[in-house]
Amino acid sequence: MAIKFERVGYEYQDIDGKGYLALADITLNINKTGEFITLIGETGSGKSTLAQHMNALLTPTEGRVHIFGVKISREGKKDKNLKLNPIRQKVGLVFQFPEYQLFEETVGNDIAFGPKNFGVSEKEAEERAKKMINIVGLDESYLSRSPFNLSGGEKKRVSIAGILAMEPDILVLDEPTSGLDPLGRNALLKVFYEIHQKLDKTVVIITHDMNTVYEYAKRVLVMREGNLVYDGAPTQLFSRKNVKNWNLDVPDILKVRRAIEEKLGITIEGETRNKADLMAKIGEALR
Amino acid sequence: MSVIEIENVSFTYHGDKRALDNVSLSIEKGEWVSILGHNGSGKSTLSKLIVGLLKPQSGTIRVDGITLSASTVRDIRKRVGIVFQNPDNQFVGVTVRDDIAFGLENLQIERPEMIERIEHYAKKVDMYPYLNKEPHALSGGQKQRVAIAGILAMKTDVIIFDEATAMLDPEGRERVMEFMRTLNREGTTIIPITHEMKEAVMSDRIVVLKDGKVLKADKSENILKDKETLERSNLELLLPLEIMHYMNENGIDNPSLKEFLWQLSLNG
Repeated sequence: MAIKFERVGYEYQDIDGKGYLALADITLNINKTGEFITLIGETGSGKSTLAQHMNALLTPTEGRVHIFGVKISREGKKDKNLKLNPIRQKVGLVFQFPEYQLFEETVGNDIAFGPKNFGVSEKEAEERAKKMINIVGLDESYLSRSPFNLSGGEKKRVSIAGILAMEPDILVLDEPTSGLDPLGRNALLKVFYEIHQKLDKTVVIITHDMNTVYEYAKRVLVMREGNLVYDGAPTQLFSRKNVKNWNLDVPDILKVRRAIEEKLGITIEGETRNKADLMAKIGEALR
Repeated sequence: MSVIEIENVSFTYHGDKRALDNVSLSIEKGEWVSILGHNGSGKSTLSKLIVGLLKPQSGTIRVDGITLSASTVRDIRKRVGIVFQNPDNQFVGVTVRDDIAFGLENLQIERPEMIERIEHYAKKVDMYPYLNKEPHALSGGQKQRVAIAGILAMKTDVIIFDEATAMLDPEGRERVMEFMRTLNREGTTIIPITHEMKEAVMSDRIVVLKDGKVLKADKSENILKDKETLERSNLELLLPLEIMHYMNENGIDNPSLKEFLWQLSLNG
């Protein structure tokens, strides 16, 4: 087990010292390889707080998180021998607004900064920058440009390339496609899926987009008011009961499929996790 | 009467390619016009130009007949409010209450009126229990609702929503859409800037930008079905309309299903 949450709680303090429980009693395991997880939940449900425990950016106020064998807990916080750097390299976390972490003069330097920081040679870091800029769907001409003149979507890709360049085992992305146009969003999701498939890495994506969840996820975590209320497959998630109780938005594919089935008085057989599948099935039914 | 008139506006960021290239566009009072386009198409640049955060290198912008310039920018901002995509960039207060108050202080609203508006709009966006909270205790979506409350409290004639729902959860997004509907019914001119087709279905007109130019501007129902135009600007058809397109391409004739799909697309 690469990441293991044991009864984790986390309390924020607000302005008048009042506590605010963002996570309550979370127990959860994430494997080093082979997982494609989406983490969903309403605004303020604790998703980002949970993600920030995955690479020890936050220390639980209750319970423990084990990350690649390193125990992170309140009691252990003062331990001077506790090395967090290897954890940060193994679990790459891409923040909600990664574009604000760009600071170097060129895109190339920005991408190379992370790996160099973890002891990779200059030459190797540059090689990785070249490789990763392509992986996120930009070309090498970007490497010499200033990151500050890029559009929001381009900045996002550059910052993701920077995390990928550290070659983490596990990639945790906090709403990585928000703000991207549909073409950019689909392209980037394919990138994450390829990283997962070809490099056999575990990918965790925080998202509000149920279409992403339905089309890509193998496993879904649902947060609600600081609690983990669902940990399972996406296909079972969107039952009428769950949708109602947890205020979930139904993926377009499922919504439109159900509406068409009702309108035509038919039942479409089998799963349709993407547009092409659904259209093909509707075509069959109507011919 | 046009509330916003943009004439031959061009803008280039320092040392970069042209962000807007000779754009002309006018928006009527009370109209709901969505501006769509790919990342980097110039749509956010356009919104910053309208509120005077950027200055065009050529062309003119008029709001309510007032030509935008350094001396009129304050008048313009009393008429046009803007909600940005990133809530962290627009959270200027120490607490939620301060943040909503900020715009009102600039308008020199009397204190009792100010307090009333702050509480009213905090309730409207469901942030009333958080009035004394600091931004770090809020999630991105919550901060965004505070930003929206701040703009609503200023009661401007025009509100630009610059990808304002991008960070919200589905329920939060639906609530913002509901604000747009209510405000538009009450006469506010609504200009969502987005690449989410679902946000554009309610609009009267849609303007599609591509590489800094107006690719097409037309009634919503025409643009929503226009796969070619949308895809040229990295956008996609709404799923029911994609299915309708598939039916047309494959010679599947079922008028009642097509009508059903059209209605379905309008309901988001």
